[in-house]
Amino acid sequence: MKVIEYLSQLDRRIVYLVLAFAVMLPLIIPSVQRVRVMTPVAKLFNAVDAIPDDRILMIDFDYDPQTLPEMEPMGIALLRHAFQKRIRVAALSLYVQPLGLAKRALDQVTEEFNQRATSYADSVIYGRDYVFLGWQPPPIVPLLGMGISITSVYTRDYYGYRTDSLPMMRRVRNFNDVGILVSLSGATAPLWWVAYSQTRFGVAVGAGITAVSASEFYQYYQTGQFSGLMIGMKGAAEYEELVETKLMLVDRRKASEALGSLTAAHLTMIAFIIIGNVGYFVRRRSRKGVVK
Amino acid sequence: MKRRFPLLLVFIFGIMGIIPYYIPHAAYQNFDNGLRNDFLRILSAFAIILGLVSLMRVHHDKIKRKRENWQFSYVLIIGFVVSGIIGLLGGVEGELFLPTRIAGFQFDIQTLYLNIIVPLGSTMFALLAFFMASASYRAFRARSLESSLLLGAAFIIMIGVLPLADRISTHLPSFAQWVMDIPNVAAKRGITFGIALGGIATSLKIILGIERSWLGGKE
Amino acid sequence: MNITHDPWVWISGLLTICILSFLYRDNPFYKFAEHLFVGVANGYFLTFTVHRVLIPNLFSPLFNEGRLFFILPFMVGMLYVMRFITRVSWLVRIPIAVTIGYYTGAVIPATVQADIIRQIQGTILTPSNFQAWNAGSNGILWSVILFIGVVCTLSYFYFSREHKGVLGVTSRIGIIFIMIGFGAAFGYTVMARVSLLIGRFQFILGPWLGIIE
Repeated sequence: MKVIEYLSQLDRRIVYLVLAFAVMLPLIIPSVQRVRVMTPVAKLFNAVDAIPDDRILMIDFDYDPQTLPEMEPMGIALLRHAFQKRIRVAALSLYVQPLGLAKRALDQVTEEFNQRATSYADSVIYGRDYVFLGWQPPPIVPLLGMGISITSVYTRDYYGYRTDSLPMMRRVRNFNDVGILVSLSGATAPLWWVAYSQTRFGVAVGAGITAVSASEFYQYYQTGQFSGLMIGMKGAAEYEELVETKLMLVDRRKASEALGSLTAAHLTMIAFIIIGNVGYFVRRRSRKGVVK
Repeated sequence: MKRRFPLLLVFIFGIMGIIPYYIPHAAYQNFDNGLRNDFLRILSAFAIILGLVSLMRVHHDKIKRKRENWQFSYVLIIGFVVSGIIGLLGGVEGELFLPTRIAGFQFDIQTLYLNIIVPLGSTMFALLAFFMASASYRAFRARSLESSLLLGAAFIIMIGVLPLADRISTHLPSFAQWVMDIPNVAAKRGITFGIALGGIATSLKIILGIERSWLGGKE
Repeated sequence: MNITHDPWVWISGLLTICILSFLYRDNPFYKFAEHLFVGVANGYFLTFTVHRVLIPNLFSPLFNEGRLFFILPFMVGMLYVMRFITRVSWLVRIPIAVTIGYYTGAVIPATVQADIIRQIQGTILTPSNFQAWNAGSNGILWSVILFIGVVCTLSYFYFSREHKGVLGVTSRIGIIFIMIGFGAAFGYTVMARVSLLIGRFQFILGPWLGIIE
């Protein structure tokens, strides 16, 4: 009993230390865990896979450093999928903070593919295979404006080039030329794409979201407003699994590498909650015994 | 005049925000697009500039009046000025006339972003994991049926999302998925209806001038 | 262990430690890092606002292309500055009114369509909703449970009458659904927060200290 009471009243810094070790140790002994792919992620993968040749994948990079570990693996897996299948990509952000992270993801995946490429045709070329449109405030400008004309909203891309001079953009006019728009966001951006762009222009929307938003977003997935859903680090790991198994593309899987730590951390949290509750009930019972 | 004119503007532009949804005619859609691209976009940029200037004023005031932790306001202002100069004069990609590389050491705005903003932003939110662990440990108690349900659902999800769940039972991940698909959606949808109706009511009140708190000030 | 020699990785690592030091207690290192973050982030914001918004969309059309129309948004935008001049500070209401007016107008049909009509369509008991679950005859059961859950949740938030009788029963069922929903949200929130921590440790142990690949 004394042990339980002691364990249920630990100093918070001990709790922090235990959690830190639970997270660190599986990282030091690395392993890539395979995951079962659930239906929401599979639907998103299939939706991206089914984009016809004359349409593009639009990716809204709307995660900032605060949600980076969950979201960046999603973005990278999505780009690998698109480039492997030669699907043209238009990337953008509704806010300014994600721009640097979007650029980093695009640069990383482009370099991966170009290192493997054996010819110009195989390579991933800016302007031909992908464009980075950048940022234009306020969010309602691209949300509604791209239904009329993408180049009127993004007259210049992230790098300052005129968008109507880019080869890819000559054949992409508005949302009618977008196969699916996938919004990777730590906040409510996917809901805005659904509420504004989808209701007005009918563009298909998929979402990669932080796990905090998961319970709120499921209702939109259930109605079909989201064609598919990736949730948190687990969702990213599932998409990485699909990219590797269905496209035979083997590359570093950052989300999958973290699943060992995720497991250890979750079990630690559950243990702490159980210990806290056991201690609470033990103390409550002993107080009732004293009162009697 | 000082209040009536803005209220009239809010009404006119409110109607202009609603109408395009119901008039698919190309002429009006192009006008609406032009309104957003050529007008609202520029207003929002000036609003951003206003926000930045206000921030500098607040911290300048803090230094002048030597308020608590005033010394750190220097850090903020210097950080802003230095990164602003590097960005404005060096360009988004370091392509303008300010050199952003000295003896192999790069300091363009993208480098500052990746090595200052990203680690700081990420770590601030990473602290939440510790606070959540400590708070759950201290305060999350199954005192009643409702809190037990909450705890139970939390445990199902926390275990169900792990690769480990498959090894415990092949039905566990599917059950966790079911919890998200049905009871969770039911609860959140009911809440969403309330929020949506409240949002629409508030928007209408603003457009019709019933809600005037955004005007601020006394005159 | 293969500690990096890249100065920027060291700067990132030390700033990370400054923030983590808050776990012990609030201290000057944390405050320094916090203020630095706000300052540099705003400098980044300013850079893109000027280079990618104001220059290509206002100054270039106005001064390079001679499109005088842009004087109008320029003048209205400058009204924001009036906020700092007490006698004419009311003029800041004009650009605010334009912005708020348009946004609140645009949000109404969007919300009605996405958050009300489509959500009702997803809740009502129709054959297409039964089939959408891909669960055979169970689809009817899941749809019925969903329908009951939504109605009962709404009844819980109806506070104009006392929760007695039928309303008492439905609101009690509603609270059960709400608690399950919040529990699920908590479970996922734990995953989210832990993921952020994992990301930071991946950086500390990887690029900085070189302990992991």
